[in-house]
Amino acid sequence: MSPLLVFEGITKRFGGVPVLRDITLALPAGITLGLVGENGAGKTTLMNILGGNLRPDAGQMTWDGRSYAPAGPADAAAAGIAFVHQELNLFPNLSIAENLFLTRFPRCGGWPLIHRRALAAETTRWLREVELAAPPDTPVERLSAGERQLVEIARALSSQPRLILFDEPTTSLSDRETRKFFSLLERLRARGLTMIYISHTLEDVLRLSDQVAVLRDGALVAHGPREEFDKDRLVTLMVGRRLDRLFPVRQPAGEPVKPSRAAERADAADQTSQASGRPKVASVSSPSAPVLEVRGLTRSGVVHDISFELHAGEVLGLFGLMGAGRSELAQILFGLEPFERGSIRVRGRPLASPRPIRCLREGMAFLTENRHEDGLALEASIADNLALVTLRRHARHGTGWLNRATLAEAVRGIREAVRLTPTAPDSAPVRTLSGGNQQKVVLGKWLLAQPQVLILDEPTRGIDVGAKFEIYQLILQRAEAGAGVLLISSELEELVGLCDRMLVMRRGELVDELRRAAFDRERILRAALHERSVA
Amino acid sequence: MNPARQRAALLALNNVPLALFATALLGFGALAPSFLSPANLLNLLVQASATAILATGATFVLLTAGVDLSVGAIMFVAAALSGKLLLAQGWSPPLVLAGMVLLGGLYGVLNGFLVARLGLIAFIATLGTQYLGRGFGMWLTETRAMNLPESFTQLASARCLGVPLPVVVAALVIGLAHGLLIRTPLGRQVYAVGQDAAAARKAGINVPQVLWLVYGVCGLCAGLGGAVALAQIGSVAPTFGMNREFSAIAAAVLGGTSLFGGRGRVWPGTAFGAVLIQAVENGLHNANADPYLYPLVTGGIIFVAVLLDSVRSRLLTALGRRRIRPDEATVANP
Amino acid sequence: MLRRWLNSEYLVMLLTFAGVVLLLPFTPGLATGENLANVLLTLLPLLVLACGQTVVLITGGIDLSACAIMAVASVVGGLAMNGQTGWLAGSPWATPVGVLLMLGVGLAIGAFNGFAVATLRMPPFMVTLTGMMFFGGLAIWLTRSETIYNLPSAFNVLGGRLPLAAAVAGGLALTVHLLLSRTMYGRWLYALGHNPRMARVSGVPVGAATAGAYVLSGLLAAAAAVLYTGQAETASPFLGQRLLLDVIAATVIGGTSLFGGRGKVLWTLAGVLFIKLLDNSLNLLNCSFFTVTMVKGAAVLVAALLDATRRRWLEAGT
Repeated sequence: MSPLLVFEGITKRFGGVPVLRDITLALPAGITLGLVGENGAGKTTLMNILGGNLRPDAGQMTWDGRSYAPAGPADAAAAGIAFVHQELNLFPNLSIAENLFLTRFPRCGGWPLIHRRALAAETTRWLREVELAAPPDTPVERLSAGERQLVEIARALSSQPRLILFDEPTTSLSDRETRKFFSLLERLRARGLTMIYISHTLEDVLRLSDQVAVLRDGALVAHGPREEFDKDRLVTLMVGRRLDRLFPVRQPAGEPVKPSRAAERADAADQTSQASGRPKVASVSSPSAPVLEVRGLTRSGVVHDISFELHAGEVLGLFGLMGAGRSELAQILFGLEPFERGSIRVRGRPLASPRPIRCLREGMAFLTENRHEDGLALEASIADNLALVTLRRHARHGTGWLNRATLAEAVRGIREAVRLTPTAPDSAPVRTLSGGNQQKVVLGKWLLAQPQVLILDEPTRGIDVGAKFEIYQLILQRAEAGAGVLLISSELEELVGLCDRMLVMRRGELVDELRRAAFDRERILRAALHERSVA
Repeated sequence: MNPARQRAALLALNNVPLALFATALLGFGALAPSFLSPANLLNLLVQASATAILATGATFVLLTAGVDLSVGAIMFVAAALSGKLLLAQGWSPPLVLAGMVLLGGLYGVLNGFLVARLGLIAFIATLGTQYLGRGFGMWLTETRAMNLPESFTQLASARCLGVPLPVVVAALVIGLAHGLLIRTPLGRQVYAVGQDAAAARKAGINVPQVLWLVYGVCGLCAGLGGAVALAQIGSVAPTFGMNREFSAIAAAVLGGTSLFGGRGRVWPGTAFGAVLIQAVENGLHNANADPYLYPLVTGGIIFVAVLLDSVRSRLLTALGRRRIRPDEATVANP
Repeated sequence: MLRRWLNSEYLVMLLTFAGVVLLLPFTPGLATGENLANVLLTLLPLLVLACGQTVVLITGGIDLSACAIMAVASVVGGLAMNGQTGWLAGSPWATPVGVLLMLGVGLAIGAFNGFAVATLRMPPFMVTLTGMMFFGGLAIWLTRSETIYNLPSAFNVLGGRLPLAAAVAGGLALTVHLLLSRTMYGRWLYALGHNPRMARVSGVPVGAATAGAYVLSGLLAAAAAVLYTGQAETASPFLGQRLLLDVIAATVIGGTSLFGGRGKVLWTLAGVLFIKLLDNSLNLLNCSFFTVTMVKGAAVLVAALLDATRRRWLEAGT
């Protein structure tokens, strides 16, 4: 029997950086394929190519024996492929029924009138499939996150596809809802529906799939029947050494880059930490005073009981999967979002209700996750962007009159320091720069403030290798100058390469802490993955 | 505020219009008992008819998070043109009425073109067409007031099955509009576009088509509302229709339509809002209040309505945020 | 090539001069000293108003109540200073205190607008539209729609005599220019308009800066009222009723973007010149008022279209 879906040599590059390498995979009909891989392994890109949102640079796809090259999501839908995305695409101001049939309402005869009874009946049918007991005319905004996810699933089913792709479908579901969802998947499987199931909850993947495929670094590293895999093997495959990725941070070669006093002292304390099995906070009496102390930080629904310390001269990594709450934590630390319980101290001084301006004054800096959204003014010039945070230093008190000479000098200095491309003039809009250079502008803007606490959220996302290297150097330089760096990243390699210590976050909580000497990729990933024990 | 409190606040905010309405009626009734007399209440409905029609059209546009500032100018141009046709060419009143509505529709299509096709921001596009319309209307009337013949103005006092014609027309418009928004696919898509135009596009909705529709409907309503107002006033002065878009928007927002799009109903919302706006003016008049205070009171009420809308919008955003720890947030849901 | 041309800062200036040159043969009265002096005088209040509007537009907002603020300020000034029933009638301090009162009105209303937009997070166009209605009505109520005469001559000179009025207006425009281009506050405003989220993260006091823009707009509207009232030598609640279109047209045509983050006093000056000369030449050509209104309306639309097109090109290029 010929396979339903075939990927042949699918390759995709973003700005020169390969994201998918020569993916070749055949999916027979009626099979449930579990797809696993770390963040950045290429799962989302592959999904987008399948769904018609992206075009591959090389390779082709075959659907049902015929060539398949969707120009857009409509083509994928027409072919019979449905997606249940992690980010819900519902309209909360409309009802469940309206969300399901927004572009294909059942009508009364030829008239442009909605046939309400048919609509209700159809909707109820699909709601029953997903075992959601809500009336079809319920406005979606009244539903819980779990119920909304079920509606999303019902919507995918209602188009009666031949292939459904689930991306982390159970993240918002309660235990009971998950159980019902699994039995739904069983039913669908029995009906012969082909499914692709993407998830970080490895037990679920193993339980539900007929076949498993593992992506790592854009390449397909394993594909076979489920029986050939177990959790340990999956973790090993996901994590494996990336031999072909240049990580030129170790210089001089072989030597650890940063002999930090904190790290040495901490190695001694590490024995105790490992023995007790719980993440232990470094002792307060260490000579490298903590520049940031967080105790019991809680915001309901977001983060829970976060406690850790960041020391001067230390690079502290924060690893976790997407949706673990890392960026949210950073936003709380910098005063962009409130918190309910707990305390934050910067250099010994309490920060009761942080606001960005206050945090800045205390010596904090925050490079956000999405430079386009809240890191840059794309239309403004390089100079304007670089100068923004530290304008006060060049402004006369009261009138705010700027000393353009010192400002220009500072801009020049930081441009050199971050090795910003010399070809672009100060007045060029930032939009004209490459991703790597743009990120350097954001970093430069913050470095000008000479922060003591530097929080970086995915600083090297979407950047070419060369720029990454330079940014790593800048980070380490800042740490050597005495700052504490909190480095949030989804790239394990990056954190392993740069950090003295690492925290692992999962579902809004800190679940593990490791010292450099104890860095163990598999242990880290295992901690980050969702532990789900659903009977 | 935790989610439970947020939801409670939202419930309160959603029902404010009705509460406001009841309060206003009772308040004015207390101030001047004649306010609550059946004759006055019927009079109120008649006076509110034009605004109700205009506000219905405005609702369509507001639902897509747009705005139409040219409604008053549309009224003026339509009235000026019809005046010319009636007086100079001797057209019959029903034909003139149809002409006004048609003109309004064409104007609405122009607005739709600017917003949907050329991508202009709604408020500046309709501000521009407002001035275009005013200027054109002034040119038509040569800045003189035109008095319409009896044949036209008697339409205002005509009755259909005992109900004054303006009220009947308004009721028909509201009924049709309500049906369009609630019972047709395109109507539901209007709400989707207002909620999130980008997501609507992704979902396969023809967003430009929706925008054409709402501005076209708004124009039609402006023409028709202008006709009703014209019949009641009897003449086209240079200030005809001045600031009417404002009371139309106010009626819609008071009735629960959100400036941010995606929320609002023609019935009962906007209809009640229109009557409320008129009731305020009517009540002030009955209480012998200083007529110069009208715009102040109306402005104040509109401000409060917009404020409540902003608060509601922020609450909705906060509630819709993704939860990382879902089990905590669904404490209310077993 | 077309793109670069349209993006050029000097486009509007060029168009203005081109337009004047084109119309010169048809409008004999255009280039006379008397005409130009008159144009200049009536241009000054518009320039001051437009500067205020520029500041607000740069932050991504808009102030539709500017002309209503002007009306209230004018009326308050008239009530305070007029020779018959004024509170300060006859006093030697009438003019300075009157001017201060007027500015105070602009400050207060501007602060209210700023509060509503920055703290209550209401949409600027709706807040200021409401303000336009409310304060316009307030001005009429305060004077029972009557005009106020008999203002002190010292006051009338401020707006009525060319050198002094030009100095005042020029000084204000220069101050705004310096604020925008040479101070930290100006940089904050641009950052706000470009990307408010980024501005907040980068330590810009978003609330204060936004409110400040509206306060400044209110103050400038009041200053424009001083000039305009002095020129007309009467205080009227209908002052500037027709000016709103001119103000918005001038700023948008000059090149200030409705999307925020982009605008300069120099551009606005060009826009004001353009509008005023357009007005003047159309009048000299004996075009009716309606034609003028329509042409201005069309000009606003064209400018907005250019703005939107420019934005679309930029977004496509990202």
